[in-house]
Amino acid sequence: MASLITCPHCGTRPKEEFSIRGAAAPKRPSPTAKDEAWHRYVYVRDNPKGRILEYWHHVAGCRRFLVVERDNLTHEVFGVTDAAELERAGADE
Amino acid sequence: MSINLLHRHVLEDHISGFETDPNPNHLSVIRRPVIFSVLAHAGQETAVAEALWNAEDVAPRFCGPSEWLAVSRTVGAETVAGMLSAIAGASVVDQSDGRALMEISGPSVRKILGRCVAVDLHPEVFEQGHSAAMLCCHATANVARTGADTFEIIVPRSFAGSVFEELMEMGREHGLTRGFAD
Repeated sequence: MASLITCPHCGTRPKEEFSIRGAAAPKRPSPTAKDEAWHRYVYVRDNPKGRILEYWHHVAGCRRFLVVERDNLTHEVFGVTDAAELERAGADE
Repeated sequence: MSINLLHRHVLEDHISGFETDPNPNHLSVIRRPVIFSVLAHAGQETAVAEALWNAEDVAPRFCGPSEWLAVSRTVGAETVAGMLSAIAGASVVDQSDGRALMEISGPSVRKILGRCVAVDLHPEVFEQGHSAAMLCCHATANVARTGADTFEIIVPRSFAGSVFEELMEMGREHGLTRGFAD
């Protein structure tokens, strides 16, 4: 079990406990946004190499959505935050 | 004679045959535990946690933020329900029929559990009274340390059979025995 993710609620856990739910960087457009914006959000995605933000769902643990910042080349993990906390911090700014 | 399924434990078929004297490493299945899930309303997390930890006859188990399991072996479901519903800002659901409670103890318990969970169980990291939801034998379980060499495992009822069999398999080398607690 190579990839260890340090969940802010449960501690260090193997990746088997998680379900990866996709990139966290693209922001969901508003329901009334133009079709082009939705098309971009749903279909036109970047495929970056290096540091990325991803949603990880801690299915077998606290069942919270986490935002993991990691390098998809070296598998180095830079930070793990609860997605709700990140959302709250973003709303405060 | 009809079998009353309500009083038939899910592991009854797995624990059959010869009754053996318990070895030092022993897995005991608690027949009728009282397990409630407790959820705190938004903003009430710390108050509910404090009330849970101060509650008598009930052992709280951490599942996730503002989510706990309240376990009791001594008092009945009605008493626990009454006690927990008195906590302000908490939602309480009886899970006793949906969960199976097992207790594994003995000098080799860490070696046995080390094959089942991917969590550091060293007493300095996973202290006595500590509990967490984790993957145990490929099933989502809540594991708690109740003593220096005693762990309590709570698994969903439908997973209890497979978790039990795998625990026994992992403990075979250490002479793990099993039986109902009462």
